[in-house]
Amino acid sequence: MKKIITTIALFVAVISSAQGKFEQGMGKAFQLWGEGKNTEASDMFERIAAADKTSWLPNYYVALVNTTSSFAIQDKTQVNALLTKAQNVLDVEMIKDQKNAELYIMQAMIYTAWVVADPMTNGMKYSAKVMEAYAKAKALDPNNPRAVFGEADYQLGGAKWTGVDTKPLCVQVDKAIELFATFKPETPFSPKWGLDRALEAQKNCK
Amino acid sequence: MKTIILLFASLFSFTLFSQTTISGKIVNEKGIPIAGANVYIEGSYDGASTSENGDFTFATATTGNQNLVASSLVYETSNIVIDVAHFQNQTIKLRDNVNALDAVIITAGSLDSGSKARVSVLKPLDIVTTAGSVGNIVAALQSLPGTQTVGEDGRLFVRGGEANETQTYVDGMRVPQPYGSTPNNLPTRSRFSPFLFSGISFSTGGYSAEYGDALSSVLLLNTIDEPDQSKTEISVMSVGVGLGNTQKWKKSSFSINTSYINLTPYQALVPQDVEWKSAPQSLSGEMVYRYNFERGIFKMYAAFDASQYVIKQENINSIDKITVDSKNDNFYLNSSYNGFFGTNWNITAGLSYGYNKVKSDIDLDNLNNVENAVNMKLKLKKNISNRFKLSFGADYFITKYTEDFTRNAGNTFDYGYDNTIGALYTEADIFFSKKLAAKVGVRASANELTNDNSISPRISLAYKMAKFSQLSFAYGDFSQTPSVEYIKFSKNNQFESEKASHYILNYQYSKEGRTLRAEAYYKDYSNLTRFDSPTVVYNSIFTNDGTGYAKGLDLFWRDGKTIKNLEYWVSYSYIDTERLYKNYPTQVTPNFVPNNSLSIVTKYWIPEWKSQLGFTNSFSTGRPYNNPNETQFMNGKTKSYNDLSFNWAYLLTTQKILYFSVSNVLGANNVYGYNYALRPDANGEYRRSAIKPAADRFFFIGFFWTISKNKNDNQLKNL
Repeated sequence: MKKIITTIALFVAVISSAQGKFEQGMGKAFQLWGEGKNTEASDMFERIAAADKTSWLPNYYVALVNTTSSFAIQDKTQVNALLTKAQNVLDVEMIKDQKNAELYIMQAMIYTAWVVADPMTNGMKYSAKVMEAYAKAKALDPNNPRAVFGEADYQLGGAKWTGVDTKPLCVQVDKAIELFATFKPETPFSPKWGLDRALEAQKNCK
Repeated sequence: MKTIILLFASLFSFTLFSQTTISGKIVNEKGIPIAGANVYIEGSYDGASTSENGDFTFATATTGNQNLVASSLVYETSNIVIDVAHFQNQTIKLRDNVNALDAVIITAGSLDSGSKARVSVLKPLDIVTTAGSVGNIVAALQSLPGTQTVGEDGRLFVRGGEANETQTYVDGMRVPQPYGSTPNNLPTRSRFSPFLFSGISFSTGGYSAEYGDALSSVLLLNTIDEPDQSKTEISVMSVGVGLGNTQKWKKSSFSINTSYINLTPYQALVPQDVEWKSAPQSLSGEMVYRYNFERGIFKMYAAFDASQYVIKQENINSIDKITVDSKNDNFYLNSSYNGFFGTNWNITAGLSYGYNKVKSDIDLDNLNNVENAVNMKLKLKKNISNRFKLSFGADYFITKYTEDFTRNAGNTFDYGYDNTIGALYTEADIFFSKKLAAKVGVRASANELTNDNSISPRISLAYKMAKFSQLSFAYGDFSQTPSVEYIKFSKNNQFESEKASHYILNYQYSKEGRTLRAEAYYKDYSNLTRFDSPTVVYNSIFTNDGTGYAKGLDLFWRDGKTIKNLEYWVSYSYIDTERLYKNYPTQVTPNFVPNNSLSIVTKYWIPEWKSQLGFTNSFSTGRPYNNPNETQFMNGKTKSYNDLSFNWAYLLTTQKILYFSVSNVLGANNVYGYNYALRPDANGEYRRSAIKPAADRFFFIGFFWTISKNKNDNQLKNL
């Protein structure tokens, strides 16, 4: 999970020259994130979100940065604060648009982070919600590689305890990798992360 | 970071806009710099994150008055209007966010469970995986400190209070009849299956002004807001069968849970000490419907329960056994709306109705009673700021109780009571800082039957001394209508409300999977009801001049961290209490109170066996009893009580669970007390019989099967 942070940032395109403020700001934020400056990156995305309320991407990344940061942290107060922040900004975008598969994938990530933070307390409560969020994402966008992979990956993670048959899940991972190959992000800043995680999961399947 | 910003700034300086530099420092309330805070001019891209020293500098093209926002994770966001031209080297103070996880919470008196609880004393699963509880919410609560296990009764007895001093609420509405009816000296069960409830708050004293008509304790149960998925649940048990179904739609959901319990086959296999002519059987069901509005939720909860039994019970006062044939019908309906409106207003409105009918034939006598009870409630809450919340509300209770008694097919006596209680309350939640909080409230109520009014102040304070520990104090005055056993004869008697004051001091230490609670309390009773006859009869003379006190210490330790896969808790209660009430000639410790109680609950998960094993050991010292052969009142003491229960949950597959439990593994010969004859025999001796459990052990075997789309879900939480 922790690896997600760096890899996601790396996958974002290098900024080209002729850009507006939005592109410049986003590029700057990704740069900070790539350097491991999570707080600064989140701050930058937050400022863009406050200035440009038409795009869902800045808030999406505020949520993503804070959620992925939480995986590396032990202190529960801090984890709670990060995930609460992530949830708050996601809620802002969710109200504007309930048809965006990426937002549901983000929601599933936040729930997953709660489970990771305290499996004993949150496992039962959030597992069904994680699955439900992925199901919604898949219903909206059946070919979204992150939705297909995320759903399989979450169940693979729990297979140790639930004893679920991993074979059909591994088939889904393979399918997700194919989908990653054909996936075209809508804009240069649209989410496109996840392939390397999927490849790693594929290795564990064999 | 700074250099980059400066670089940006210099690039921009060649453009048409002139740039102004904004700079300063962000600190917390103690003046310590906050690193990584986000400072920016709202609506522009101009801003910066603070450095390790809390400093920030950035350039902006904006001019005039602007909104400067400063935010950081665990602090309250600051929003100030600045003049861009003159904002350099300024210090901004961020206040602690009192909603943060590490802020102080008021804990005196209350034991919380569920997702909303900051420090969970019980987890939702515990109700069901605690050995000895067999899915009975009340039995699980009896493993917590402050309760007295009264084996022959089964209800909740809290800190020296009678069972009726605890009121039960579902979604904020009172439940008039929370327990099923049972024969004399055999324990009852809570009517609620844990299946539909997500949060439980059990207060052993000093509770909020929102709740009234309870002297000792309130038990608050909240139904699940949103079920996780559609599913069907089937259970086949040694005592009956159960069926549950949940349907989930876009904005609403419906859950139903029904069961049929018949103890006939079980009692044929396991010999009982009592003679059942017809073993207890019951058909019961609960349902919840929820509808989500944009800013609120409507819930309707309904429960019905029809049960019956026929028992031949020995009675010390008669040679022959007495046959009791009893039927009980119970219905409860509760609807509530909880939502937000305007800016930070919250409204809760609810209506509940309870109906209970008991029809008993006792040999040739006949006793019937019917209770109808309504509760209406309206509560408003306003978050004036993060640090000050004000709530106020009104509560209205209507109760109508009728009973008739026919002796030997002869004359019928009718009696009963009608009562209405109206109450208003207001309460403020105040955070002075992240470390000091208070809850101050007052409840005013008017009781029609007792024709008295009461003004009850309630105050709690909490102070966080260190990162993981805090101290709380609570004080409150409480009043309650006397027990139905007395007020049903109110035609000839005037009663007064019974009163109690609570003083509670609580210490809590909580750190990552470990919790220690220590609570000392003093409870002062006055106006308790007394009567002048050997038993309560229609022509008894009642007075309200009884007194009493209870003081003690409750300790609780829970640890789920030290040993992998082992979760355990230990509760110890010491209590010193005396009461002058009922027909007691002097103030003594009542017969339901042991001075010392200890319970140890363990749960061990063995991954290789796919099993959870649990042990619960409950121990308490002897309880007083009155021996009329002695001159001193209530001078006897039973031997100590011990019960070791065991359970085993085995996951056949993720969705199929096999469950086994047995109580009193060690076969302790427990005696709860003694019944003495009302009159002495020929030798002038009062004969007695021991009050004991109906059987030495209780065995339970069940198979639980969940059918759902998501194959990870199971009923482990319901066991």
